[in-house]
Amino acid sequence: MELNAQIAVTVLMGVFLVAVATFLTRIENWRSYTPVGGGGSFIEESGYIDEEKPAGIIRWLTTVDHKDIGILYGLYGIIAFAVGGLMVTLMRFDLVTSSSLLGTSTYNALLTSHGITMLFLFGTPIIAAFANYLVPLIIGADDMAFPRINAIAFWLLPPAALLIWAGFFAKPLGLFGPAQTAWTMYTPLSLGAVGPSADAVGGAGVDLMLLGLHLSGVAATMGAINFIATIFTHRGEEVSWANLDIFSWTILTQSGLILFAFPLLGSALLMLLADRNFGTAFFLTDGGNILWQHLFWFFGHPEVYILVLPMMGIVSYVLPRFAGRKLFGFKFVVYSTLAIGVLSFGVWAHHMFATGIDPRVRASFMAVSMAIAIPSAVKTFNWITTLWNGRVRLTTPMLFCIGFISNFIIGGVTGVFLASIPIDLVLHDTYYVVGHFHYVVMGAIAFAGFAGIYYWFPLVTNRMYQASLGKAHFWLTMVGSNITFLAMILLGYGGMPRRYATYLPQFATLHQVATLGAFLLLIGQIIWLYNMVSSWFEGKRVESGDPWDLRQDNVRTVEWQWFEQKLDTQIATDGGDEEVATDGGKPADEAEAVAEERDDD
Amino acid sequence: MEAKIFDRETMLDLVVNFIPLGIILFFIALFVVVTPWGFNVRTSGVMLGLMIVPFVALAILTYLSAKAIAGDEKTKPVYAQGQAGLEEAEPEHHGDDDHTPDETTDASDAAADGNDGEEVDNDEGNDSDGGDADSETTDKQDSDDTADDAGEPAA
Ligand code: HEM
Ligand SMILES: [Cu+2]
Repeated sequence: MELNAQIAVTVLMGVFLVAVATFLTRIENWRSYTPVGGGGSFIEESGYIDEEKPAGIIRWLTTVDHKDIGILYGLYGIIAFAVGGLMVTLMRFDLVTSSSLLGTSTYNALLTSHGITMLFLFGTPIIAAFANYLVPLIIGADDMAFPRINAIAFWLLPPAALLIWAGFFAKPLGLFGPAQTAWTMYTPLSLGAVGPSADAVGGAGVDLMLLGLHLSGVAATMGAINFIATIFTHRGEEVSWANLDIFSWTILTQSGLILFAFPLLGSALLMLLADRNFGTAFFLTDGGNILWQHLFWFFGHPEVYILVLPMMGIVSYVLPRFAGRKLFGFKFVVYSTLAIGVLSFGVWAHHMFATGIDPRVRASFMAVSMAIAIPSAVKTFNWITTLWNGRVRLTTPMLFCIGFISNFIIGGVTGVFLASIPIDLVLHDTYYVVGHFHYVVMGAIAFAGFAGIYYWFPLVTNRMYQASLGKAHFWLTMVGSNITFLAMILLGYGGMPRRYATYLPQFATLHQVATLGAFLLLIGQIIWLYNMVSSWFEGKRVESGDPWDLRQDNVRTVEWQWFEQKLDTQIATDGGDEEVATDGGKPADEAEAVAEERDDD
Repeated sequence: MEAKIFDRETMLDLVVNFIPLGIILFFIALFVVVTPWGFNVRTSGVMLGLMIVPFVALAILTYLSAKAIAGDEKTKPVYAQGQAGLEEAEPEHHGDDDHTPDETTDASDAAADGNDGEEVDNDEGNDSDGGDADSETTDKQDSDDTADDAGEPAA
């Protein structure tokens, strides 16, 4: 049995490496591609090339258009979000009683996959979805700098997901089980029984997961290089560094972080794989376990900012649209983004305060962790000040932006507490930490993702979602998140350790409360999914080029101008330019009359 | 040029990064003076290095980005985020009058306030070198302006 698994791993790895090598030798000029749109420097030209694409599934398999790839990333991220969400639903169900209903090893496997799926298969790709679709539009580029690399980076992700989840598929076949290492993959646990992969935490499932993670890291790095090149070299003439929008700034910073963080994770993963399979001893010697933690968190802490920075960018971009004014202190937000980018590499050992490293070394990580809280707080004040006296319109994307701020404050403040060594020594490895980072990853990152999805839904689909379902989704998600994660923070104060499938009876009530919150979250997300799918196919058509009425506050942005031109080209019969431009300025309902006659074409 | 880029306005924008730099500096000083675990060249060296390296890196990045951002600000027209290339957009320092009159008084006041808050930096910085006058070729356009936009480059 185990032999089978090892052979499978070896063969898979071999085939993959050969495939990559062949592929590389066959590519000569990575930049030979020119966009089908004809290389014009007008956004509107490259935006309307659907006719030249092949039809059906072939289009999606061969596309190198940044917008198509953005949609692919988006679908991928949403599927991963559903998978990770269903996994955690099972876990919360298991935690209703103090004994484990599913069995501890199943619980551990779900825990591991939930974390990795959400961070690597949902978080990073959903950001890439927004970035691919929007950055070229906003900065006035025809496409990404390297469209083919863009496509490759995406297509590495599906195999990465299959590898990461491999254990779940293999288990029913009686081969090997899923990894149970937790997302941090700490040694010696992840090394198993020293040497061969025959171990209690998943055997070959762990090896495949490590390979999958490595692959996703390669994909992220390729994407990052592409974004850096695009933002540096493909900006439109008018887009100087002083006008670069905040979302592109955060993507640029995030790409820089990826460039330094992911290759390091890749190396550490390969060292772990070698320790597990090839008899090396990187993490077996004295200090090996601390070495793993240093390597992992040197990647791991920047990773949390890799996820949160672009989402802060989305909020900084969308929030002012519905506050009817410009982002307060735009340059503060830009500089603090860059500051977070640099400092995020200087705080990693705040995850290791309890390991027994020298107190002097610990102290310096505390110092930099305190310093990094400032730029985050500055942004928060900027968002609040933007709302102050603004003409606030509580549309669904705006609700999610405000929810983001509210949750991020709680997530950030709990983080600052954890960054203080004495407090961390008490709370480390309790549910308090779980509550802290879920306020950020669910309460903030996912919220900003929803804000972006709702806000740009008309831009991508030409249709409007159903607003009442959007509101229901928001309130269920907001209330559900706060019930679940506040309960976790309280559990942590009570001393409930994290990563356990069983618990002492005194924690039962709070665990059940957390499960109740998770149930609300599940209902909310089902509503959201229904809303998205049904609106995509049958939602009300958007007839106005300015569906959010941004013009009335003079806060319209270029991607909506592109959208307006797209609508014009799709529906204009002959020389309709003038009247269409007029319609764009009016609210959707007023434009409807004109729109109806156009519906036929 | 240097002196012009790092004028009072730019320095004001950079305060946001000076604060974390200051916090790190404070801890460096504190840990040099207060040494409850004693001083040991290797460990204390690592401790100081772990603060000095981020400090230097942040200082360098702040300098470079300020040079790029404030430099462009002084030589090119500045638009609000996401509005460079937008047909109705005009460079930022026109703040208060670019709101359509059909807003409620209350709302336009608020919006104007918002601009004031932001434009303080741009106004002075830009007016001083007057380089932006020629960029104002686009007239203020109302939201229902029917100007033919087909020929205008969007970026
Ligand atoms: C305001 C700045 C922040 C500070 C000072 C901070 C501080 C901390 C500290 C000290 C820990 C370690 C707790 C422990 O294990 O004992 C921690 C854990 C964590 N934080 Fe934060 N945090 C901050 C913001 C964030 C953000 C923005 C994110 C996500 C985007 C995040 C995600 C996480 C995660 C995922 C963990 C747990 C990692 C694990 O052990 O599995 N934090 N944080
Ligand atoms: Cu951290």
